[in-house]
Amino acid sequence: MIDLKNIKKIYEIGDERVHALDGVNLHIDEEEFVAVVGASGSGKSTMMNIIGFLDTPDEGTYNLDGQDVTEMTEHDLGVLRNKKIGFVFQQFNLLQKLNAYENVELPLIYQGVSAGVRKQRVLEALKRVGLEKRIHHRPTQLSGGQQQRVAVARALVTEPSLILADEPTGNLDSRSTYDIMNLLHELHEQGNTIILITHDNEIAGEALRQVQIVDGQVINDTGGGQYETYAGM
Amino acid sequence: MKLTQACKMAVFSVWANKMRSFLTMLGIIIGVMAVVLLVSLVQGATGSITDSLDSLGGSQITVSINNSKKKLSAGQVEDLTELENIGCTAPYVSGSGVSKAAGSSKDVTITGITSDYEKFTTMNLTSGRNILPIDNEYRLDVCILGNSVAMDLFGSTDVVGSQIRLSGRDYEVVGVLEEEGENQFNSQDALVYIPFTTAQRFLKSPGVTNFYVSSDTSENLDAAQDTLDYYLLENTGNEDYYTIMNMATIQDSINTVLNTLSLLLAGIAGISLVVGGIGIMNIMLVSVTERTKEIGIRKAIGAQKSDIITQFLIESMTISVVGGLIGLLLCMLILGLLTAALPAYTFSISVTVGSIALGFSIAVGLIFGIYPANKAAKLKPIDALRSE
Repeated sequence: MIDLKNIKKIYEIGDERVHALDGVNLHIDEEEFVAVVGASGSGKSTMMNIIGFLDTPDEGTYNLDGQDVTEMTEHDLGVLRNKKIGFVFQQFNLLQKLNAYENVELPLIYQGVSAGVRKQRVLEALKRVGLEKRIHHRPTQLSGGQQQRVAVARALVTEPSLILADEPTGNLDSRSTYDIMNLLHELHEQGNTIILITHDNEIAGEALRQVQIVDGQVINDTGGGQYETYAGM
Repeated sequence: MKLTQACKMAVFSVWANKMRSFLTMLGIIIGVMAVVLLVSLVQGATGSITDSLDSLGGSQITVSINNSKKKLSAGQVEDLTELENIGCTAPYVSGSGVSKAAGSSKDVTITGITSDYEKFTTMNLTSGRNILPIDNEYRLDVCILGNSVAMDLFGSTDVVGSQIRLSGRDYEVVGVLEEEGENQFNSQDALVYIPFTTAQRFLKSPGVTNFYVSSDTSENLDAAQDTLDYYLLENTGNEDYYTIMNMATIQDSINTVLNTLSLLLAGIAGISLVVGGIGIMNIMLVSVTERTKEIGIRKAIGAQKSDIITQFLIESMTISVVGGLIGLLLCMLILGLLTAALPAYTFSISVTVGSIALGFSIAVGLIFGIYPANKAAKLKPIDALRSE
């Protein structure tokens, strides 16, 4: 499904060139549950942004389902983001002025889904995350865990094949962390590909495969096996 | 994304920032009001000036002979009616004199007229009769008094049958005019009408120097003027010896002046609409900066460039259109009050002016919304998401 080859991303901060990603090779199959682990600044978020086409690599190729993403137009990428990918962010990234229902409805509006179908799917998604009684609450009226569940509902309402979760439990207490991880496991069991980015080894341990990133390079991959394993890491 | 959804989002966002949206709208409201009010006021004034020109005889031709050797005779003027396109003619002669009766006296304008004269001016009799052909035929010493003349000399308008004295000669009053008041051009009240032939003798002015001509139908006014021109050129031998004036031509040139004035004022007022538009652009740019994160989120969940452009454009247009409508409503209110306060004028917004002003305000919202909308849509999703 996802095939990254020699991906490089370089930022220039003043005179210094920082290699956020320094030749990443990664292959992820469909229906995998992958945790990308790394310390802050290791480049794991940059990688997620590139996988979700929020950012573009400076070098390398990215094939998604056999298509070269770097060759695609901005419009096609928008369509792909909308239909194939569901994002869950650490900061939730809900629109503060919209209530839970409207936030979840937004991707469907951009898809051009009719009002009737929209209503049905939004309610279904909110029910799945256990928020059917909070649909008219705005983000500020919800707890962090509830907000993140709204974000998960928004990610899954379009029935995407790939869920990209960037530190989804980073701002949550243990109870909410448990809820969100359960939701991710459920989605995985239903056939979604999940990429979970985290700095927490315990959370990463719940995934079936761990990819470790240090200084913009993959140094350990429990699934691929072609990388050297460093003892104690 | 469907347009109705985009509109809902835009209205929602405008409503969410009520105070700011209203202040931005104010620029458009004032701009539209300035344009529509000024143009409507000029149009209202134009209407009232045109009306009073019409009351002076909108479809008449005034002829005056400037050369005393080339005067026409009364018979010639009467025979003009046989020419093509000419309706009727009315010679007149004016002079000033002193009227006396019952021990009081008053300076008056004395005009000698024929019975057809009433077709060319407003001559409403409150009592008595008009000058008749027989008065002219026998040069009778009869007169019609203007309202104020009757009031000043006799203290009453019920004076038919009384005698007045004009320059040592007695005249019998056969009619009194209604009070006319003053219009923009002259006072209608301080005058005395006597038969044309009597006046020729009285003013020692034989021949005809001034007369009115009407065309047989109002469409033929220009043709009648041409006929007259040809006739007079032939009779006097020089086009400098006579002047032909056509009220419609005068009206046209007054209208041209007023239209130019109204365009000029609209143009000046239009500048304030443009300033209002710049206000919209300014606030939309602020809005884009404030909502960078929102734009990033929208793009992350699949909004296209076009969706973002549409959203911001509709927002700016909502501000300008609502502002335009409020401006129009306020104009209607003000013009209604003015019309009530000044009964001599009728002010209203013409459909053309209203729709042009509204169209212009829509265009302002569109034009000044494009830059901020484009700026918003061009943001890279990752940069937009990272901003706080």
